[in-house]
Amino acid sequence: MVEERRILYEHLDVPDINTFDVFRQYDGYARFEKAIAEYQPDDISKMVMDAGLKGRGGAGFSTGLKWSFVPKDIEPRYLCCNADESEPGTFSNRYVLEKNPHLLIEGILICCYAMGIETTYVYIRGEFTLGKKMLDAAIKEAYENGYLGKDIRGTGLNVDIYSHPGAGAYICGEETGLIESLEGKRGQPRNKPPFPAVEGVFSKPTVVQNVETLCNLPFIVGNGVEWYTKMGPTYADTRSDPPTPDPNTGTKLYCISGDVNEPGVYELELGLTCSELIEVAGGLRGKEVKAVIPGGSSAPILTHYELDTRLDFTSLTLAKSMLGSGGIIVMNETRNIVDCLLNIMKFYAHESCGQCTPCRWGTPWVRDIVQRIADGNGRKDTITRPKFGVAENGRWGDTGETEEIYEDLDLLESVANNIANVDTMTWNTICVFGIAVSWPAVSYLRKFRPEFEATIREGKLVTLPIAEATVPPEENYAYQQRFVPKEFADLEQPSEE
Amino acid sequence: MSDELVQIETPFAFNEENQREFDELIGRYPIKEAAMLPTLHLAQKQAGYITPAVMKYVAEQLEVTVMKVKDVVTFYPMFFEEPVGEYVIRICHTLPCALRDCKVVLEHLKTKLNTDVASETNLAKGTTVDGKFTLMKVECLASCDVAPVIMVNDDLYKNLTPEKVDEILAKLTS
Repeated sequence: MVEERRILYEHLDVPDINTFDVFRQYDGYARFEKAIAEYQPDDISKMVMDAGLKGRGGAGFSTGLKWSFVPKDIEPRYLCCNADESEPGTFSNRYVLEKNPHLLIEGILICCYAMGIETTYVYIRGEFTLGKKMLDAAIKEAYENGYLGKDIRGTGLNVDIYSHPGAGAYICGEETGLIESLEGKRGQPRNKPPFPAVEGVFSKPTVVQNVETLCNLPFIVGNGVEWYTKMGPTYADTRSDPPTPDPNTGTKLYCISGDVNEPGVYELELGLTCSELIEVAGGLRGKEVKAVIPGGSSAPILTHYELDTRLDFTSLTLAKSMLGSGGIIVMNETRNIVDCLLNIMKFYAHESCGQCTPCRWGTPWVRDIVQRIADGNGRKDTITRPKFGVAENGRWGDTGETEEIYEDLDLLESVANNIANVDTMTWNTICVFGIAVSWPAVSYLRKFRPEFEATIREGKLVTLPIAEATVPPEENYAYQQRFVPKEFADLEQPSEE
Repeated sequence: MSDELVQIETPFAFNEENQREFDELIGRYPIKEAAMLPTLHLAQKQAGYITPAVMKYVAEQLEVTVMKVKDVVTFYPMFFEEPVGEYVIRICHTLPCALRDCKVVLEHLKTKLNTDVASETNLAKGTTVDGKFTLMKVECLASCDVAPVIMVNDDLYKNLTPEKVDEILAKLTS
């Protein structure tokens, strides 16, 4: 069985770790002191790049690369810490904020030092009242002890941290939505480019990082790059010739919920498989795994055929899904996929910000179609359309045969694909909310089509046995594209002749 | 005269404590408008909900148009434009909570409080007759490991069962 590897969460349960004095006893701020004493700002950026740290918020974009886009000649620059944790199934940041807020402050300090940033806004979702209270108290303590404010520890470094409450909008977790919201407007995402790194909050260069990403920084600085890269797999990116390393290094705070015996946050090295994680979380509650959502509700679903998929950025991308924010939701054999999709689509229909037409109208439309199917009113029988193909006269045309189609299922896929096309990965919306809607809609439908068809046919919610409900791998487009990445170290190294 | 006009005439201003907090807030941002969300939270805490007078006052403080404030208030679900109960009960009904039977908890709350669920445009629908509770569904509260959960004002209650709900309500009504 895979062991937990607690790094960010190591001292989470220490009593009073949220106070400055206790945090200091556990190496607190020592890593920041090491950073300012031993390294130049550019060294830190290079370390983060070499460590292969990928953003933990959802997109999995290389943090070092993001930092390199920030122009160094424009003042002031800002850091926005994204603590607007709203993705269904994700709850790891809440514990950091509530129990160990000083770790986040230390991460912010290191980032500010590396990037020459003086002002940081921590955008906390409005519902995290306790988290905000704890963070505010920690910020106050850090000011009192001279770790925030002007001329920190006599180094001439000035850093201010302010917490900024959100007000319950999911879309403010999108980085440009967050920036708009921070500026006191509706949280409607901006067109990119310009990217926030160039023109972000108050039209200045802005680094937007998730809480978990920032919390990784003290450990990279404190323990070194070599130590960090030993955790998690490094794959070979074969798109380039010769292959380049594609690091999935470090640990991830996996949030597991749904039908497992011990739901919670488990910090593990990246790269364990889905079934291993379920085992770590006390095993399945129920008889069999029907489906697993691997990265928050936006991620395409995995079937029981795919439980060997490794839960890291690269493997899940190749499996046509995503690690996202690491919120894993497990469903057992009693769950109805149509019902689950309805729940998720209600969420997206509610949370669409209303800026782009395909999303504003598409999300309620998709929800209504799924609602109709779940209510037993799915459209099925009336349409038997002519089957086109090579006709008797040898020409292309009406073959004279008819095929029965499930109108609502075709419509569902069509509407979802017109918000964002999951096959070409193009979206007709400004932000990736579009793809977050159509990914679940299309993947649930394609992978569990028999259950949708049965529900329409019977006129009521039908939960099929797993074997019947799931489309077998060989018939499913989504699987045909699937392949497993190779570890970089396993590649045959070219000989030097 | 319609209700709305009457409300405009009931002026609003921060009390001393909130004014101090507001003055501190405004210094955090290079532009005043950026303090919009924290200011509205502050105003809602004092006034109970965002009346047109509150919007007017906030607009004056932040040097923006009233329309801009209204624009923001209507976007975010945490700002109320209608009166709500003393205790706002937010119940999460997103997938992880749904998998852990939040429906049972919701139904129990509905019968116990003898009220429907508020919608964003009709908060009165979910408010009890005595004005003590408002019941509303919200999206994921980021506590999926302890689902099902409810939030009563600022407090989170975890791993709920109908019995636990009874205990909570008994404590709040006593």
